[in-house]
Amino acid sequence: MTELQIGQEVELEYGGKAVVSGVIGSGGQGTVYLVDYNGMSWALKWYDIKKIKDPKAFKNNIKQNITDGAPSNKFLWPRYLTKETEDGTFGYLMELKPESFDSFVDILNTYKLKVDPLTGRATKAPVRFTNLSAMVTAVINIVNAFRQLHRAGKSYQDLNDGGFFINVDTGAVLVCDCDNIAPDGSNFGIGGKPGYMAPEIVRGIAKPDVQTDKYSLAVVLFKLLFRGDPMEGKKVIKDVCLTEASELKHYGSDALFVYDPNDDSNRPVRGIHDNVIKFWKIYPDYIKDAFVKSFTEGLHDPNKRVIENEWQKLFIRLRSEIISCPCGRTNFTSMFEMQDDVTYRCPKCGTTFATLGFSNLEYRLPLYIGSKFYECEIDPNSDDFLSVAGELVENKLKPGVLGIKNISEKTWRAKMPDGMHYNVEPGKGCPIWKGLEIDFGSVVATI
Amino acid sequence: MSKKNKSKGSEQTAAVQATEEEVKAAPVEDDFDLLDFDDDPLGATGVSRKSLVIFFLIDTSGSMKGTKMGELNTVMEELIPEIRRVGEADTEVKIAVLTFSTDVKWMYSEPIAIEDFEWARLSASGVTSMGLAFKELSARMSRNSFLNSPSLSFAPVIFLMTDGYPSDDYKEGLKALSSNSWYKFGLKAALGIGNEANDDMLAEFTGTKDTVVHAYSGNQLAQMIKIVAVTASQIGSKSMTLSEENESELSEEDVYAAKQKMLGQQIQELVKQDDSNDVSFDTGW
Repeated sequence: MTELQIGQEVELEYGGKAVVSGVIGSGGQGTVYLVDYNGMSWALKWYDIKKIKDPKAFKNNIKQNITDGAPSNKFLWPRYLTKETEDGTFGYLMELKPESFDSFVDILNTYKLKVDPLTGRATKAPVRFTNLSAMVTAVINIVNAFRQLHRAGKSYQDLNDGGFFINVDTGAVLVCDCDNIAPDGSNFGIGGKPGYMAPEIVRGIAKPDVQTDKYSLAVVLFKLLFRGDPMEGKKVIKDVCLTEASELKHYGSDALFVYDPNDDSNRPVRGIHDNVIKFWKIYPDYIKDAFVKSFTEGLHDPNKRVIENEWQKLFIRLRSEIISCPCGRTNFTSMFEMQDDVTYRCPKCGTTFATLGFSNLEYRLPLYIGSKFYECEIDPNSDDFLSVAGELVENKLKPGVLGIKNISEKTWRAKMPDGMHYNVEPGKGCPIWKGLEIDFGSVVATI
Repeated sequence: MSKKNKSKGSEQTAAVQATEEEVKAAPVEDDFDLLDFDDDPLGATGVSRKSLVIFFLIDTSGSMKGTKMGELNTVMEELIPEIRRVGEADTEVKIAVLTFSTDVKWMYSEPIAIEDFEWARLSASGVTSMGLAFKELSARMSRNSFLNSPSLSFAPVIFLMTDGYPSDDYKEGLKALSSNSWYKFGLKAALGIGNEANDDMLAEFTGTKDTVVHAYSGNQLAQMIKIVAVTASQIGSKSMTLSEENESELSEEDVYAAKQKMLGQQIQELVKQDDSNDVSFDTGW
């Protein structure tokens, strides 16, 4: 007996009972139920233990994960194990995903289905990021979550599109399905999801670990940015029917990146992969180069895969290279013209954007009302990519005068047109001018 | 496995391959105007999904009349939302229903997306032209007809339900079907209803006894339809996890028909759990 009924009680290992109140969904290893426990709603993952190779080892691993705790608050981590039933079936409780988060799959599909419980009829509701900054923040959050996990010495193993929830307004990320997470080098039977699995796993010559996670992470990032499959192009489409043998071929030994610079036989196909074709034109070279590296050199050599810290830096840069033009066009600087080395120009309306250069960064921040930089960009020792340190604003008392507001907790020193340096306290600001210098401590920015 | 089998496998793969003209890759564009295309970085369409068509072949001959047909209609109505739930969200699942009695008839003129599918209740009369149904299915299972999705497809699920022995030459129909690559790679299952249905004949259609089940009562009919349809759409709508329990590199023959084997195993397991002692369909009338 593996299925639970509504109203059924499940005993928890350390006392108390959870009462099943609904079904949330089912996956390859079991079903997730909605349960009430101690007056709160929780999610209960209930295993179909027949589908688990060694249930005892699997359970012990979850137990260890519960003891270790989550690497950060970005994980919907297992919290309480249930008692085993007579036939050895068990499950665990985790927190529910907040309403404000959408599944990664729905984001990729651009809609979610809402099913009327009475008629069973389904309607579609659109799902898309509110703004570009939220999307890139989501990417940074995903990368950072796996950096934290890998730093804790564990691998996720089954990284795929079903593993995340994202808030499309803020870019906040929650990693779910944390039950296969295991110390690097251990595997409790999971292989992964085809399309996301590293080629060496598909071929049957490796088990999931931190290195294969890196491959899957690159696939997840590619799907989110380019909205397509990195290995599905002309060569794969020719097969028409994806049989077991063609999957083994196209995602295993013969996998070929659609934009492999040395082999164009698997390029995206118009009418099917229009997203990938479009976005490959939009993203800047340093982003595309990282994917090319991951999916060419890194395809069969796990040590050549891009590491999380590198991805994180690239995407922090990408977020800082967004321009919201007053004409309504929001895009990356790669889609703006350069008037000169330090000035961008909108190709649509001609508006120009001065830039702020940082002494520790190789890119320049375009300046427009609302452009922001973050703690990690003005402090080389900071990993804080969520706290805004400074923002370009219009002076409330002098309309038309633009300046940089200090939103950080430190006092800056700014050089003014009179050649003198002045303190800029938290909450205060300084006007921007050609020649402005701001000293943040160990980093200096100049216009 | 022998070398012969391997070459057979690749021949079959070749049969469903598209021609060069059908697949036009995007030309390489090095130079482009910044404004000559929709450059909204948030303006994406859904990621192209793989498609799966589930074919139901349903016997609507006179012998199905009454409780059997009523029961079947009700089960199928309930089944649609259930399949919608189990189908992987990154697969586009479509349904096509072919009924056969004296004639054959499609419920809708083309496969319908599961989100939009509504069951049209069936009624029963006439004889059992199963061979004709096989021929019709074979004609429609083609790139030029029902399986015309421009993106990748999974091999279809084909689920046959009948309560009797074919009244026409089913072998001839099956011969036509056997030469169809989609059928060869498809996930095939069959349900025999009552005492007249012949499991051996159904196994000729599925290619294996493991995916043939039998229902002798109303309760069983509902259970079997659900077990088979839900399991088949689950397995059919997702890629095969190829890596389990392997120490050495997988070859093409290692994975040949892996999904059909998996379907057989899972159906047998579920059917075993589900032995009920209801009154037989054909007795007690």
